Amino acid sequence: MTQVPLSRIDLKDGRFSLSYGRDNANLRSSIDAVGIIEPVILLDQKSYIPVAGLRRLHCARALRIRSVPAIIVAISEQEALLKAIHTNIERGYNIIEKASVLYKMHRLGFPRPDILALMRYLDLNPHEKILEIFIAIAGLEIVYKQFIFTHNVSLRNIESFLRFDMPERRRIVRSLAGFHLTESTLREIFEMLHILRIRKGKLTGRDIPVLPNAESLRAYLKERTHPILTSLTRKLKAIRDTMPMPRGIDIRVDPFFEKEYIDLVLRIKDYDDLRTALAKISGLADAGYLRSILELTKGTIR
Amino acid sequence: MSLQKVQFVEGNTDIIRQCPGTKHHICCGYQTIDLIEGCVLSCSYCILKAYLKNDAIKISYGPDAITGELDRRIDAGTDHILRFGTGELSDSLALDRRLQLNAFLVDYFGKKKKAILELKSKWADFRHLIPHLNPYTVISFSVSPQRFIDAEEKRTSPIRKRLKAARLAQDNGCFVGLHFDPVVIYDGFERDYRYLIEDIGRILDPEKIIWISLGLLRFPAALYGQLIEKKRKYLLTGEFIRGEDGKYRYIKPERIRIYKLLYKLLKNIDSRLFIYLCMERADIWKEVFGLTIQDNESLIQLFDKRIKNLYGGML
Repeated sequence: MTQVPLSRIDLKDGRFSLSYGRDNANLRSSIDAVGIIEPVILLDQKSYIPVAGLRRLHCARALRIRSVPAIIVAISEQEALLKAIHTNIERGYNIIEKASVLYKMHRLGFPRPDILALMRYLDLNPHEKILEIFIAIAGLEIVYKQFIFTHNVSLRNIESFLRFDMPERRRIVRSLAGFHLTESTLREIFEMLHILRIRKGKLTGRDIPVLPNAESLRAYLKERTHPILTSLTRKLKAIRDTMPMPRGIDIRVDPFFEKEYIDLVLRIKDYDDLRTALAKISGLADAGYLRSILELTKGTIR
Repeated sequence: MSLQKVQFVEGNTDIIRQCPGTKHHICCGYQTIDLIEGCVLSCSYCILKAYLKNDAIKISYGPDAITGELDRRIDAGTDHILRFGTGELSDSLALDRRLQLNAFLVDYFGKKKKAILELKSKWADFRHLIPHLNPYTVISFSVSPQRFIDAEEKRTSPIRKRLKAARLAQDNGCFVGLHFDPVVIYDGFERDYRYLIEDIGRILDPEKIIWISLGLLRFPAALYGQLIEKKRKYLLTGEFIRGEDGKYRYIKPERIRIYKLLYKLLKNIDSRLFIYLCMERADIWKEVFGLTIQDNESLIQLFDKRIKNLYGGML
């Protein structure tokens, strides 16, 4: 180990840097309090190239520290990258960092079996198709990486997202970036966008408007991909809105209007409750509400 | 024609099965003889892509075991006329000229004279079977507009060849079946189906069409993602919902509209045509045909009646 002046280190060279989305504030406070404890690893070049510890080096520069403890290594780039990867493997990698690991191995010419073998250490299924997705993630613009990172987008949804072209991705991220998105909502939105895209050839701004929340966007797209279902759902809601729904009675309708029957659910605790509930159901039937709902399930109304 | 690996295995009795049908939908009670698993035609919407684990074509060949099991089933005594087919997990004819798999079955049913064998196909060549043909074998073809075949059934025979082959089967003393399955919604599909049905009326003898099935496109959830990934425009134009059996199918008002359209067009050819719905709900039967078909048994009885009408005392 040796003490190396910061001025001799090329802090702009991030070729072995793998970190993404890490908070430097705590690290900086720690270094400010006790200095750099673990030596950084530097590749022996005219200007030293950081192999492990680039974040610490940036913190040190911000704190105006002049020199840092370092281990200088004279190894190949491939060996240096492996050192960088394994130095951080214990703390775990987020999805963007995993993409960076695999992309950098790919770019430095590691044999495919070696890359696939390392995927196990990253808790990834060592499959060529998955590797291709991660390499594609690494090649995304920062705005898309940030979207994936902040929304914790699943691999399945990333794969779906990558099938959109660049202008479409931009519109999608602009529309969705501010929303709280669940995995299933995002999957459904992507699925509907793909359907529209397949039908129309390409998506325009009208297909991906900026709306107040994810649910509004979901409903907007649903109306376009499923106009009949949307219409039936609206008609059902209109009936429900006008129907004086007694307490303790629930009417359940298949959300796809496929089943030719509806379920009436009663909550009763004794025989009197049952008589009361039946009288109320009879009232709903006499007023025509149940007939109107049943008609929606027959497939004759759009 | 095929680059897929073909594996031969010893055929045994469990390759004869009741058609699995689908939950909450009415099935015709057909029995399948799965001589082949896997298909060289590789239609883009084929559910075998989701059902079968590998790409290889598996052939189960053991005539003695198979005919023994057929004897057992046919002789067991039933009120119904049994119908068997080899086109469930593969195409009945696509590999048959090369592999000669169906001839022993055609001979068997011809001698047995108690049940019907249906060979279902999108491949229009069965000339090698002509010396074996008999009235107890039904040659059936899936029929779709040529535009759809060009897009989604690329390795299959053109529709005109299928219809000419069906006519050849009729001319050789066979009844033929037609399967409008899958019927698919795409821009202009109504016009294409109208032309297709006009062609059927021109080319075939309607009196020798034993049955016509109508089945709108449906597929398991696993296939939906694949269709989206492969951008199958023809297959994704309609409005899909998840049915009670978990499969994707067109929303009910669309299904009713299209079944009614096709039914009317077909009945214009000949009002006596026997038309049934493949895997549909009881309320659709009621709405389209005005028939109360509550369960599989009701439909099987319709088949029995149809066959008795056509075969008289021959079965």
